[in-house]
Amino acid sequence: MATRKMRKPKAKAVTSEKTTTKEIASRIKKSAERMVKEIKAHKDPSFTTMQRGKSNVVWDEKKGYLSLGDKTVTRNFLNVAHARKFMQTSLIMSKTNEYLLHNKTASIREIYYELKHTIEGTKENTFEGQDESDPTIVDLEHSVNTIREKLNLHANPKGTLYGNITLKDKMHHNDKFNASKLGRGGWSIMSRMEPEEIEIIETDADYLLVVETEAMFERLIEEGFPKDNHCLLIGVGGQAARGARRLIHRVHKELDLPTYVFTDGDPYGWYIYSVIKQGSMALAAHSEFMSVPKSKFVGMTLDDIKEYKLENVTENMKDGDIKRAKEMMAYPWFQNKDWQALLKKALVDKKRIEQQALANRRLDFVATHYLPEKIRNKEFLP
Amino acid sequence: MTKKEVKKANTAEESYDEGTKKLDAEFKEHSVAEFFKKNKQMLGFYGKVRTLTMITHEYVTNSLDACEEAGILPNIDVKIDELGKEYYEVTVTDNGPGISNTNIGKAFGKLLAGTKFHRLIQSRGQQGIGCSGCTMLSQMTTGKASKIITGRKGQKAISLEITIDPKHNEPKITNEKEIAKAFQGTAVQAKFKDVLYRDSEQGPLEYLRRTAISNPHAQISFRDPMGQKITFKRTHNKIPQLPKEVKPHPKGVTVDEIITLVKVTKARTVASFISNDFDRTGAKSIQEVKNRVSFDLNKDPKKINWSESEEIVKAFKEINFIAPSTDALRPIGEDQIKKSLDSIVKPEFLTVLTRKPTVYAGGFPFQVEIAIAYGGDAGRSNAEGRKMEIMRFANRVPLPFDAGNCALTHAVQSIDWKRYNIKDVEHSPVTVFINFISVHIPYTGAGKQSVADEEEVLAEIRFALMNTGRRAGIYISHKRREAENQLKRKMFYKYIPEIAKALKEITKANEEDIKKRMEKLVLEKLKLDEAKDAEEMAKMQDKMDKDSKSSISKKNGKDKSKEKVKK
Repeated sequence: MATRKMRKPKAKAVTSEKTTTKEIASRIKKSAERMVKEIKAHKDPSFTTMQRGKSNVVWDEKKGYLSLGDKTVTRNFLNVAHARKFMQTSLIMSKTNEYLLHNKTASIREIYYELKHTIEGTKENTFEGQDESDPTIVDLEHSVNTIREKLNLHANPKGTLYGNITLKDKMHHNDKFNASKLGRGGWSIMSRMEPEEIEIIETDADYLLVVETEAMFERLIEEGFPKDNHCLLIGVGGQAARGARRLIHRVHKELDLPTYVFTDGDPYGWYIYSVIKQGSMALAAHSEFMSVPKSKFVGMTLDDIKEYKLENVTENMKDGDIKRAKEMMAYPWFQNKDWQALLKKALVDKKRIEQQALANRRLDFVATHYLPEKIRNKEFLP
Repeated sequence: MTKKEVKKANTAEESYDEGTKKLDAEFKEHSVAEFFKKNKQMLGFYGKVRTLTMITHEYVTNSLDACEEAGILPNIDVKIDELGKEYYEVTVTDNGPGISNTNIGKAFGKLLAGTKFHRLIQSRGQQGIGCSGCTMLSQMTTGKASKIITGRKGQKAISLEITIDPKHNEPKITNEKEIAKAFQGTAVQAKFKDVLYRDSEQGPLEYLRRTAISNPHAQISFRDPMGQKITFKRTHNKIPQLPKEVKPHPKGVTVDEIITLVKVTKARTVASFISNDFDRTGAKSIQEVKNRVSFDLNKDPKKINWSESEEIVKAFKEINFIAPSTDALRPIGEDQIKKSLDSIVKPEFLTVLTRKPTVYAGGFPFQVEIAIAYGGDAGRSNAEGRKMEIMRFANRVPLPFDAGNCALTHAVQSIDWKRYNIKDVEHSPVTVFINFISVHIPYTGAGKQSVADEEEVLAEIRFALMNTGRRAGIYISHKRREAENQLKRKMFYKYIPEIAKALKEITKANEEDIKKRMEKLVLEKLKLDEAKDAEEMAKMQDKMDKDSKSSISKKNGKDKSKEKVKK
């Protein structure tokens, strides 16, 4: 077997956030100092961050991803509805500031536990659950214009990489490792995937295939698909986590690898694709470093049902699927005829098809027929 | 069948036998007392709890009236002792003028002996069935005589026992003795069976509490069957002006009443009967009546028959008279009500309104007094907390029964209390006090516990309720805001130490200084909010004052039109 040519990073690795830890810490300090100044000036202290959610998300057609608008929200302490949130923000600021100064990192669950306590003289906790601290962290990220990783915080890692790619972990003895030589399980993607920690060295792959379910990821490895087809495999396990999205973005950009996404044939799966491609509304501010506008959708589509004779293994769409499909039809980034046609068909047929339903034909059907044919024939949705 | 029931049945049989023997004689001898014996329910003596309350009422009313007539500030002491199952002894002692030998029988041993029966006067009276009714009830249920001790100023006190001969409605006095101990006043002690003491809204204690509220010049103490003592202290040191007797107003008179009145009139012609025995009648009215009736007004009024009386009433209906004089009405007075409610209910907020007298059904003067008490001991407490309480009074007498049939209750229910910031009125600590004053209370039944839904009465009470309700509403909303502010202050304050510590850790600023400054910020903000509230409230008050002024003037306008005399 002839040795394949190795691809080295073409584009320079770009840190999503160039600002230094020191700079971030100083931004937090500035924000806190402004509050103190307000208090000393006899003013209601305030905290300003970016407004998030649909109303402040802009679809940048030229760049091909979602970005955050410029609307801000200000929270005041002397507001019955804001006081608690204000207190929580001050705690998160103080704690992240401490992490940055002492070079510590923590998971978002850990910071929640570190800050949770009963407020003196009350029966009230500073945070009643992680669902209170998580949004406060996002508030701070947006307020000091950074990403959570730069606040030395990370979410639970999710997603797996497999294939002939060599990476270097700069934070761990500069270990170099190849993701095809770590056993069948591949390499667990971390929540922080910045170039100063993980460096991409080389690969011989021709493309990157992102797979929605871990089960399909395992199936493809068992069938030897990455090796036979010279591709890298990333299993995202449902909605892709930050680290996985960041890695997909970097592999695509630095190695100039075509990227294909393979999900279940339902609105939820298609939305996973759209988040990988164009970014999410929640993290619209970071799309530039996470999205892959040139990625393509390989399947499943509802046309696959007839095409691959899967009529017997469809499922009925649930109310949530229908609602989601209707919402997606209205999003500006879904305004192209292929996607509109597919969503319309979904709303008419009210059927969905799972990746693993391909096993109905044969266990290896997906690896031997479905994916190779589709990719060879470039049967993609944009 | 219990012994008691056997006995009852026997008595009935005996009287039946007697009846068949001497039917005619028997029929004639049927006295008021005999009637009472058979129809005590009609007079309010029914229900075990209610009966005990009514007994208390009769004795206490008698004492109050006696004291007031003699110009004595009443001190009344009530004791109820449990002697056995549904068997009680009631003792009521007053510091009144005492009763002369000749009058004791009338007061305690002869039914319908009172002097108030045919008079139009604002009285507590229950048609004189009162104390004698209790004597009767006591002997009917226990076979025992009532004990009375009475002492008059400068005379030796006497003690005696009294029963009523039911056939002849005559008192039977036994064991009359002079006693050595000096005593002024009257004490009565009687035993009753088939009654029950309850500490409920309908029980004697609540009855006395309300009596004390509506009679601030009286001091009433009570010892219940458990031995617990309570004294409702006097809060006003002036005896109320005695009510004045008024002549009937022609608009309010009935055919039957005319027949009754002519029997006692001193007038020798119908014309002078009309002009002398009625209120607001003069030469003009006589002329008007003359034009309308078929008989000669020079006729002897004693000879007027039913149909002639009907003609007079019909004529009265058609003629316009000046509204009846209202100077005979004796309200308790705003200050007095305020003092007694403050002393007994101890509310957080109290507002009292005595309305001007007005007239219902064209001929009856009346007046209402309303108080709304909120917070403190206002409302009745039960297991679920405090609930609204409506204290109804007619001429100062509490009406604890038949609330559902009463115009006073209906008026309270017709108010949209939410408008006055009382959200869930049924479960609020509110006491509504209503005293309805008239020389002729339009009771709905013989029990005399509820006032009929006369249109003008309802309207007047509603108006007074709205007026006092507004004042209460302002207080309540203010109080609520204060409570809200308190909560807000607490809410902000609790976060301050957390924030100050966090900011100190980031900026190294002085934690204590930040804390103090933030607390100051909170207080100033709340003060600002309060000032805004106060401003709003002042506006609201202003508007309300205007509202009530305009409605009062409307009311006056209405009264004037009634007073017009037809030419």
